[in-house]
Amino acid sequence: MDITLNPADLTHTIAFYTLALTSIVAALIVVTAKRIFRAAVALAVVLICGAGFYILLNYDFIAGVQLLVYVGGIVILIVFAVMLTSSLESIEEPPSLGRKALGLFSSLAFLATAVIAFSETKFPLSSISAEQPKDVAKAVGRKLLDYGAGGYVLPFEVISLLLLASVIGAIVVARNPKRKNEGSAT
Amino acid sequence: MSFSPELHHWLILSTILFSIGIYGVLTRRNAVGVLMSVELLLNSAAMNFLIFNHYASKPFIDGAIMALFIIAVAAAEAVIAMALFVAIFRSRKTVDVTQINTLKG
Repeated sequence: MDITLNPADLTHTIAFYTLALTSIVAALIVVTAKRIFRAAVALAVVLICGAGFYILLNYDFIAGVQLLVYVGGIVILIVFAVMLTSSLESIEEPPSLGRKALGLFSSLAFLATAVIAFSETKFPLSSISAEQPKDVAKAVGRKLLDYGAGGYVLPFEVISLLLLASVIGAIVVARNPKRKNEGSAT
Repeated sequence: MSFSPELHHWLILSTILFSIGIYGVLTRRNAVGVLMSVELLLNSAAMNFLIFNHYASKPFIDGAIMALFIIAVAAAEAVIAMALFVAIFRSRKTVDVTQINTLKG
């Protein structure tokens, strides 16, 4: 590997490490913050950094979807959940020592196992000359609606059903049972 | 040894985010906090798909499609979880996962 770095590589590297540091610190805030609302804000930071990583990997379309669905949708939903369960003001007690030890042990054991496993593995990297499709959004769209071999039209339809089912299920679960007959009087 | 990000740097990053998520799932008391940790796990899994797509099968786009599906499933999961928390909070006045133990044997 050559030591000389061209400017584009250098900015890429700096962006990678800055985003990595930010997202790790924010992720630690997500799991340790006493105020749950602060954790929600840190989660938004982690997800925005995630979109930055996708741009670094040249998947601009996925980065856009990440910002729209995750940051614009899921984080807002979580903030609603925080407000509706009135945990906005409450300060969470720190977990008991046993739980903390168990959590630390499992996460560090996973980290060590995974790092050892993939540092031992030779991955079949694609050749340097391999080119990414020019327009990722176009390629993704074609692949999603492709009904031939290797197409994703069935999972695409199933996921739309899943989303519909989850929306209806959420309405049914969250509805107040005491007010069931109010609207049906004719 | 080079500092410019290669496959292993990316994998270590996503593994660190995943382990932080595991810690959160096991230690959070508030159920909404557990949900947030699960979102961390899903996010790092989607990132792993994109990393391998970029480094191991560059001419294809299947990893990006898997990342899209993960994002959609995460959205469905967050909707259901929010509805459950609202229902649990209404009947028990708490979302502390250590207090919700009716099914404990």
